[in-house]
Amino acid sequence: MSDWNKIRIMAARVRKERLFGIRMKIMLPILVLFIPGMAWGFSDPNIILPGGHQPSNAMEVLFYASLGIVFGATMCAVLLSFDGISRDRASGMLEVRLAQPMPRKEQATALILGYWQTILIPVYALMMVSLIIVRVRMNEWPSLIETIVYFLSTALILLWYTLFALIASTSAKEQGTAVAFGVGVWFFFTFLWALVTTMVAYASGISIGEAKDPAWVALEGALDLLSPNGVYHHLLETQLPTIERGIATWQAWAMAIVWSVIPWRILHRRMEALVP
Amino acid sequence: MRGFPLTLNMAEPVLEFRQAQHRHRVPQPRWFKPWANRLGPGIVNLDLTLHRGAVLGLVGPNGAGKTTLLRMMAGILPLQEGSVVSHITSGDNGTEIDLRKWVGHMPEQVRWQGRITVQEALAELGAMRGTDIKRIQGLLALVGLKQRAEEPLDNLSQGMRQRLSIAAAMLGSPKVLLLDEPYNGLDPVAAEAFTQLIKRLANKGVSIVISSHMVGQLTNLIDRIALIHRGQLLDEGRLSDVETRLNLDSRYSISGEGDVDFTSILDGVKIQTMREEVEDQRWNLIFRGNPTEVLQSFMKAKVTVTSWSPVAPNLVEWLCAATGMDVEDITLEVGSSAMLPLRRMGGAEDE
Repeated sequence: MSDWNKIRIMAARVRKERLFGIRMKIMLPILVLFIPGMAWGFSDPNIILPGGHQPSNAMEVLFYASLGIVFGATMCAVLLSFDGISRDRASGMLEVRLAQPMPRKEQATALILGYWQTILIPVYALMMVSLIIVRVRMNEWPSLIETIVYFLSTALILLWYTLFALIASTSAKEQGTAVAFGVGVWFFFTFLWALVTTMVAYASGISIGEAKDPAWVALEGALDLLSPNGVYHHLLETQLPTIERGIATWQAWAMAIVWSVIPWRILHRRMEALVP
Repeated sequence: MRGFPLTLNMAEPVLEFRQAQHRHRVPQPRWFKPWANRLGPGIVNLDLTLHRGAVLGLVGPNGAGKTTLLRMMAGILPLQEGSVVSHITSGDNGTEIDLRKWVGHMPEQVRWQGRITVQEALAELGAMRGTDIKRIQGLLALVGLKQRAEEPLDNLSQGMRQRLSIAAAMLGSPKVLLLDEPYNGLDPVAAEAFTQLIKRLANKGVSIVISSHMVGQLTNLIDRIALIHRGQLLDEGRLSDVETRLNLDSRYSISGEGDVDFTSILDGVKIQTMREEVEDQRWNLIFRGNPTEVLQSFMKAKVTVTSWSPVAPNLVEWLCAATGMDVEDITLEVGSSAMLPLRRMGGAEDE
């Protein structure tokens, strides 16, 4: 059996276990409210956003609706995978798996793929629904390239949070620590990053929150590269020519690769040193 | 010998651990280095050879390092020092190998859980080893779980989970089988079936290591014993040889009824009295010496003898004999992981 086949089978087990588990049943209504729900709201032809802005095309609606991904789907990714390794450690299954002649790096890859697919499948299904909602309410499809970028960047942000949660799970001896770490990282990047941006701006002598101040926009754009949520928005903004924050497309994609490769490598290393 | 007959094959080594060491990292946070740690308890300077077709009983108290040793043997924990030499295949030629390919490992407690079925769970592990579904079904039949193959893991009882762990350990036809407290949770029928299975596998040439802190459970099964205490291998060898080396052989218990005067009856018989009890016309003598002479002396004295049997040493006796410590010291030290072996380590445990 090829190495890839082994990874595929192990990932399929994780996916099957989690996709139809109770946790997913609890999260599904949240995802429905956040993803198609937001697409419904932002595609309302009469909507006026703060600042008097009105979404003018399908991609813009999807961009605003991506808040549902940032708030809901990433949280679900963490809650699905926070015990990806710690649960097996507690049950003794980790020892059984580590005793098998399959390289630990491959086992880690299988876990990543399994948990990533678990959150990706429902999110993608709901994103399809969102596209249809936008089409029905605005009578407009996003272009093919916009759709690809939307789906690809969403897959990436979910991968990053899955990786964070699994890394936390490798060091957690019990579930509480794992969930605290996973949710803590999510909370930091989702809610506290604005505070970090503000503090850096204050320290740099830049007026805070001035949307029309180029220095503030540039600083916010640059700092967003250091946050997975920020990179996600940068990726989506590559399809919105009206938004210019001083970050080139290649920079956004380069940071996306960095955010994918570094945690992936960290997880591999943690897995190599893992003690059941 | 209490186990089954030694064969010529059994003398052949399968795996040799030479000066093998794995010590756990223990957190030792400092003000400027909160992540600092030091080497703590573990296995130290282990020299152990596993033989083809032999059943080795790994015996030691709680915290002795049995599980750590089994994990080292299973390739789960790396050797920090020393080496492991394989004679598993003729091509090995004494070289180091990936142990996991040849070793089946059954951890002490595995809580198989989830909605996937018994067969699916085993198939996933089988895929990691390249085991086909036919072999998996055969293993399920072997451990008596054939009828439960389609049952979700959540529905299994503790005993069934233990059986599933045994099946998982046997995936990939291992040459060495490591069993950590395998009798936990098994009912007497399953335990007997398991014992027979172990004997069958050993007769086929599989080298088996069973860890337990219940020596009595193992005496009818094992033919070699390894005494482990505080991370050290105190003694290892054929059960009878180790007993002799530690002066734990030739121990007998004789009981009877009626008046008895041990001094006069056993006058001139060379024995080492270990315990004598007389209570309400019933008496019992435990001694070390020639049992025939003792029995003849009692017969001559026309004393009623009701029972006579050899006495197997228990875990504490094994450990006391191997370490030269008192019972109190042994039992007190069992719970302590603060210090590491004394016999060979000598120095401090910090590094």
